[in-house]
Amino acid sequence: MFSYLRIAAVAATIPFMLSTGARSDAGDDTLRVAFGEEVLNLDYNNTTKREYIILSDLVDEGLFDYDPEANTYVPSVATGYEYLDPLTIEVKLRDGITFHDGSALTAEDVAYTYNWIISEGSESKAKSAIERWLDKAVVVDSKTIRFDMLEEYPLAVRDMANRIQIRKAGTYDDDPNAAAIDLVGLGPYQVVSFEPGKEVVLKAYDGYFADSPKQPVQIGNIVIRSLPDSGTQQAELFSGGVDWIFKVSRDVAESMGAAPNIDHVVSTDLRIGFLVLDAFGHTDPEGPLTNVLVRRAMNHAINRKEIAEFLMGGGAQVVHTACHPAQFGCDQSVADYAYDPEKARALLAEAGYPDGFDLELWSYRDKSVAEVVVAKLEAVGITVSLRHGKLASLNEARANRQIQAYFGTWGSGGTPDTAAIARVHFSADSDRNMSNNPKVTDLVLAAEVTGDQEKRDALYSEALSIIADEAYWVPMFSYAQNFLVSSELEFPTYADGLPRLYRAKWK
Amino acid sequence: MLKYSLKRLSLAVAVAIVLSFVTFLLLNFATDPAQSIAGEDAEPEVVEQIRKTYGFDRPLLVRYADWAGGVLRGDFGESYYWNKPVAEIVLERAPVTLLLAVLSLSVTIIIALPLGIVAALKPNTLIDRMALGIAVSAQAIPNFWLGLIMIILFAVTWQIFPVSGDGSLSHFVLPAFVLGASSVPAVMRLTRTGMLDVMESDYIRTARAKGYRGGALVRRHALRNAILPVISVLAVQLGHKFSGSVITETIFAINGIGRLALESILGSDIPTVQMLIFLFAIVFVSMNLLADILNAVLDPRLRIA
Amino acid sequence: MMSNANIDTAQVDADGSNATPMPAPLTPGQVLRARARTHRGLQIGMGILLGLLLIALFAPLLAPHDPFAQTLSARMLPPVWSEGGRWDYLFGTDQVGRDYLSRLIYGTRISLIVGFGAATIGMLIGVTLGVLAGYFGGRIDYAVNFVLTAQLALPGLLLAMALVFIIGPSVWVVISIVGVLHWTYYLVVTRSATMRLREIDFVAAAQAVGASRLQILVREILPNLAPQILVIFTFELGVAILAESSLSFLGVGIPPPTPSWGLMIAEGKEVMFFRPWQVVLPGAAIFLLVVGANLAGDGLRDITSPEGRN
Repeated sequence: MFSYLRIAAVAATIPFMLSTGARSDAGDDTLRVAFGEEVLNLDYNNTTKREYIILSDLVDEGLFDYDPEANTYVPSVATGYEYLDPLTIEVKLRDGITFHDGSALTAEDVAYTYNWIISEGSESKAKSAIERWLDKAVVVDSKTIRFDMLEEYPLAVRDMANRIQIRKAGTYDDDPNAAAIDLVGLGPYQVVSFEPGKEVVLKAYDGYFADSPKQPVQIGNIVIRSLPDSGTQQAELFSGGVDWIFKVSRDVAESMGAAPNIDHVVSTDLRIGFLVLDAFGHTDPEGPLTNVLVRRAMNHAINRKEIAEFLMGGGAQVVHTACHPAQFGCDQSVADYAYDPEKARALLAEAGYPDGFDLELWSYRDKSVAEVVVAKLEAVGITVSLRHGKLASLNEARANRQIQAYFGTWGSGGTPDTAAIARVHFSADSDRNMSNNPKVTDLVLAAEVTGDQEKRDALYSEALSIIADEAYWVPMFSYAQNFLVSSELEFPTYADGLPRLYRAKWK
Repeated sequence: MLKYSLKRLSLAVAVAIVLSFVTFLLLNFATDPAQSIAGEDAEPEVVEQIRKTYGFDRPLLVRYADWAGGVLRGDFGESYYWNKPVAEIVLERAPVTLLLAVLSLSVTIIIALPLGIVAALKPNTLIDRMALGIAVSAQAIPNFWLGLIMIILFAVTWQIFPVSGDGSLSHFVLPAFVLGASSVPAVMRLTRTGMLDVMESDYIRTARAKGYRGGALVRRHALRNAILPVISVLAVQLGHKFSGSVITETIFAINGIGRLALESILGSDIPTVQMLIFLFAIVFVSMNLLADILNAVLDPRLRIA
Repeated sequence: MMSNANIDTAQVDADGSNATPMPAPLTPGQVLRARARTHRGLQIGMGILLGLLLIALFAPLLAPHDPFAQTLSARMLPPVWSEGGRWDYLFGTDQVGRDYLSRLIYGTRISLIVGFGAATIGMLIGVTLGVLAGYFGGRIDYAVNFVLTAQLALPGLLLAMALVFIIGPSVWVVISIVGVLHWTYYLVVTRSATMRLREIDFVAAAQAVGASRLQILVREILPNLAPQILVIFTFELGVAILAESSLSFLGVGIPPPTPSWGLMIAEGKEVMFFRPWQVVLPGAAIFLLVVGANLAGDGLRDITSPEGRN
């Protein structure tokens, strides 16, 4: 045993031994980025997942762009928008915008992209979001597009900014995946080469428009490599083969950030973590979770502050609402259940469960958080068995209504609006909705089709206060994003947690 | 022999078919592949749309029949995750695993054979005891743990070899050692036993009487006979290397079919899992069969019998 | 993992020679005891197994803390020999502030439970099939052979992974699956030994007395197979423990928060460049336990059939 301990002692010094010999990347003006996920498709119109958003921000433009500092949508290739009536939006394009192949952007390209996405043959992942509200896009003149809507939809501009990337007219005519490998975008970087699953090489596009909200773009080249193994990512960062990694666990980030050539950058994130409880009784109509006292007891049992502070660290916050406090409409005045295990036990006894009950809790990420939740629930007398596995298993079980409670997280796709979390979790047809309160569903759906922001705010307030009073969820915390970056790099972060690589620059 | 081989192979195919059906059903019951494809923040509508695009909304049996029909035509379907034909992905990655398997088997031979021979030539001496000690230890070390320790020592502390990846031959040194070490005990023990038996045989006694001594005796006479059973065991071990590649490739981030297997299971990439289970079963049986054939060819006594 | 499962058959003496009475005036039991006294490997192996068994039994007395008790404010403490280490947490704490030493100690229980459980299940399957095939021969033998060939064609680790993933991980699922996939050595050995015993006089004598087949199998054949089964059982104990640790390491084995050594290595892997002891310690524990089982197996084989010593 002794010799193993010595090995451990020797190995403990490695972070400092490794910190020598880093290669300079500022010299060749190339930012080397590692993703844990494989990049298999360059066309964000056909993908989801955060890695693709980061990439798409570099190579694509939508009509609008989200300004994280001002928390508003700003014109990008469009100059602005105007509601001609509640069901018609008119958008005008800027002059002099060109695709990476040099051709000029016209209204025809924009209309083509939108109409194709909602068309029959489209395999776009944006289809379901857009076809809810868009009837058709019509070319008015070469710089003007009119969007005819099916219903009032206050988040149309958000969808235009975040979801739809503009393609040249005709791109998808022969193949719905035509832009997966050969992408001609409008963004600040153009694709030099792409090996699916391995590497994307980008270089700054000379013809990128100067008025873009993404300007000033400073770094000349960006190389994105897929390194699925976190150990490989860390080793590459140490040796200077990579300048930037994200989704780093807090412990790794803090240990590696201590090395002289690596900075640990923390930002807040719109993602929140929470427990969803089967309040409706899908798993058992008479089950303990159908009792509001039991659900409140569980809210009192969890020490949110401890999890946010010690486990998440950095920019994590305590959350007591079914939405992120930074989101529009996320009323913070709703019921807040303080950590009070005594009260939790008392409520359980009052509900008729003085000796607790058996609970199966599902989780799919952040195992340590799940383990802390289990321990806290057991501390007030609930017997918990933890089913920690992959997302696909959790979702299958949830779709089959076999889940009593799960530890879920939701990032709202970076959208600072309660709409981005409420409908998914409380609409009638979502299996994430385990409370099935028609009142909440009505409020959430009404807010979606209300243009007036004050009314919308009020609708969400009412919905959120019912959710809190009925304790359908145990909201817990907001996440922090940990980035590890080369000390040569200046990497700004934003409240929504989305990494904007085009804003990076060399020190 | 041919008839026997065919029988064994067809049995393997039968096993593989049953297995593929069972895994297909179970994976479909237990997981939602559409969700794996969509990612954690996908809205329900997106997942529903994927379900339609990939045809997950059709009855299970129809989908299985679809898959089986494809296999009969040599088409193993398209990976949900990679959006490419599974056969293409497997073909792309198999050479890496094959290289790893062959390299690790070489490691086994380089360590186990000399150790076994020396141990047999000096039975019950310190060398013999050390050889046995190595065998007992190698058998007890968890393979994945040995891999991690090797990374900590050779890749991080001393920085002799790369941490992980498969870019160059030096990337294969540590994984080949780790995977090769797992077969050392079996091969070493067998070599030692074989050598001991041969050295005791009349035939060697005669050679000794004729004046052959030491190295020449071992090289010319004993080794050839002692090694016969070892060769067939090596064939079996080569099959095991493919199975062992799941863990080794995962730890060293090598893009072979072993790691593909783990990722496909965890990611509910059902077509890929099915083809790999098929492939692994056939490799296993073929290697066992090869061992039998080698035995028969190499050992004249068995051929007569 | 399963690559360690391939104990070469040479290790297991299949010729049943232990059944032959010793010519010496000593009883067989005395002979065994005499041999065991001089067999260093057996003594070390048994010593390790016994020691770890005691640790598992008396875990509550030995562990300084509750292995499940979390102290988030004291999470990720280094071990006492590192800067910032504390004497009340000798080996430091893990991601949620549980005492590492206590989890190591309790991990012994899980490994032994899985090892004994899975080896027993494998034994029940393998010995039953082996004895039936060896005793009855003919069609039953043919059928058993078919099952054996099928089992040998299975990619064991892959299948175990898929099964645990699908069924959902729990201690009992892991025990059952590891057990169900590790019975071939019992079968091969008991089958050939039973075939030989069937021809030996005392079985024929029992048949003549009119004993039923079941009685013969249970009273005459099984006791004679016991030493060999015990040897295989000891080896399979080690194999099963390795299998469990591999599955748990890959995240398809023992579910958290149960302290399993394989799971602890997986948890430590994330931070292994900074806190290597979180990988080194549980791995060393697995190694010790399996070495103990293998040494004991080697030793038992040697003393029950000295001719098979190699």
